[in-house]
Amino acid sequence: MSTEHGHHHPRPDSQVALRARALEALLAEKGLVAADAIDAVVELYERDVGPQNGAKVVARAWTDPAYRERLLEDGTKAIAELGFGGAEGDNVVAVANTPTVHNVVVCTLCSCYPWPVLGLPPTWYKSPPYRARMVAEPRAVLGEFGLELPDEVEIRVWDSSAEVRYLVVPMRPAGTDGLTEEALSALVTRDCMIGTAVPQAGSR
Amino acid sequence: MSAGAGPGLAEVDAALAGRTALPRDNGELVFEEPWQGRALGMGVVVLERTGASWEQFRRHLVAAIREHPPEPGESAATAYYAAWLDALEALLAERGLLP
Repeated sequence: MSTEHGHHHPRPDSQVALRARALEALLAEKGLVAADAIDAVVELYERDVGPQNGAKVVARAWTDPAYRERLLEDGTKAIAELGFGGAEGDNVVAVANTPTVHNVVVCTLCSCYPWPVLGLPPTWYKSPPYRARMVAEPRAVLGEFGLELPDEVEIRVWDSSAEVRYLVVPMRPAGTDGLTEEALSALVTRDCMIGTAVPQAGSR
Repeated sequence: MSAGAGPGLAEVDAALAGRTALPRDNGELVFEEPWQGRALGMGVVVLERTGASWEQFRRHLVAAIREHPPEPGESAATAYYAAWLDALEALLAERGLLP
């Protein structure tokens, strides 16, 4: 919002930048913190948000029918049960795939995304072609993702917004009866929860 | 879990959930200026090196945010990471590592 940082003369808040630098120098002097350790953390955190939270939610829904019911009724609340959430993840609606309905998520306006459960959106999710075409010709776009759905399966496209973000709960693949919840969560990829893929029993 | 670089972001998020949550924009951490990222990194490393808990840090952060609400015209991220520095200094002082 406030990105008027184009001008280069010092701003009042450079005071706090100096303070940060002074503290860092002091910590380095005391041997508490090395600069490259800070670099490593910053670099890691700028990238390290993955879909593992969402995968845990889905695996729980697969193994606990009561949880699944709560999840479909109030996604935000059920997700918070597992300790996930955040200001922007406030209204997460979970939509479940069935043998006759396949759900897929898009944000036609920008790139709204349920990041507390899915991490950062992939680049293609933000691309104008995906945003426009997923609404106009979802079956064709899913085909390009390698997902061929039988004609009798209805495709529901959910348009995210700042207020409501969607999480697809895919169907549990056949042949996974003996798997633990943790092993199941490893089958749930990011794309499965956006709806551009379905979990494979043998994957990963 | 993540070797070498301290706790994963998910752990930090969990520890700071609610009023002290890290500033974000559509999931991505917001660093308007490099010092804000450095402040976050310093906090993570200091906690790891000193063995202080995120709960201890969070208490200082809550207090710092309360004492210094955002000034008019100040961005949320600037106010947050300024409070973060306050909290970090308070934690270091508490442990006798800062005068």
